Amino acid sequence: MSTNSATVSTTKTWSGGRSPFNVSYGKLMMWIFLLSDAFTFSSLLVGYGAVRFSYPPATPLIEKISPMSHVDHNFVEVLQEKGVFSEAHWPSPDLVFNHFPFLHGIHLPLFFVSLMTFILIFSSVTMVLAVEAGHRNDRKKVGIYMFYTILGGLAFLGCQAWEWTQFINAGCTLESNPFGPSQFATLFFVVTGFHGFHVFSGVVINFIIYLNTKVGTYEKRGHYEMVEKVGLYWHFVDLVWVFVFTFFYLI
Amino acid sequence: MSHTTDTEEYEPISYVPHVESNGTKEIWRTLTILSLLTAVDIILYFYMPLNSFRNFVFIVLGIVKAYYIVASFMHMKHEKIDLAAVILVPLLFVLGLIAGLLYEGNFWLSI
Repeated sequence: MSTNSATVSTTKTWSGGRSPFNVSYGKLMMWIFLLSDAFTFSSLLVGYGAVRFSYPPATPLIEKISPMSHVDHNFVEVLQEKGVFSEAHWPSPDLVFNHFPFLHGIHLPLFFVSLMTFILIFSSVTMVLAVEAGHRNDRKKVGIYMFYTILGGLAFLGCQAWEWTQFINAGCTLESNPFGPSQFATLFFVVTGFHGFHVFSGVVINFIIYLNTKVGTYEKRGHYEMVEKVGLYWHFVDLVWVFVFTFFYLI
Repeated sequence: MSHTTDTEEYEPISYVPHVESNGTKEIWRTLTILSLLTAVDIILYFYMPLNSFRNFVFIVLGIVKAYYIVASFMHMKHEKIDLAAVILVPLLFVLGLIAGLLYEGNFWLSI
């Protein structure tokens, strides 16, 4: 035994044969992947910020449209004539994302996207409950919570499909849109599309993990660490949505 | 020269630490916090006047929500500090990206 115990423990941590971070190789690599993915999303969101900063902010409406009030079919055209929607400045998200399913002709800004946010938060919770059940080797509960998580993911994707349909029907393409500068729709499609694709791949991976749980792969293996790893990915998707929600809808 | 000989069988390290369940109390607490913060977001959206302070508040709330997701849901709070540093410190580069690109965006505005 050495007299300098501090040196001994440091050498032991990094001298091989054990995990210096006290996590498995797979989990560490999932974290490294998420770091790289965080850089990707940062670039997209900061790029959005730069383009948005390069336009003057939206002109405020003379009379504010209050939530729940009635909007006409020619809402967009009227605002274009008033100069509220123009190529010269960035549109206010308040006046663009104001639809809600089955409630046509009513001005409901932020309502639908708040619903989407809560769907994603709740599916994050069911995922973390699946991880917790995995720690107790409770195969049945892991299966149930994974199933709820998949349902949440599908519900979110459905909402996003509806949101995109609304946006495309309004005349938005990657090159032009009736609300303002062309980059407004381009960045919306690219960033929410990239996030949506993450949700989609998350649902696919969750489904594979769900099947493995049902088949008993992890029970045989003795631990449910795969649930934790895919859980990290799922929470990351939720985390990215927090910032998409902030930058695209709130600000 | 290889260290492994034919007589030694190579065993891959498949180290998975055993984790005990901490119960569901913390999960419900984090859910409450995230829901409340989102509710605050929605209330401020409708009742706060449009200005840069409002945007600042939204960004701060976003970062607080991100903290709770990473620390609690992703279990970062319970990991070794070494791992947390390896993942979180490189994110400081993003600050440089923000400063640089927002400066550029401002410049494009003045063209």
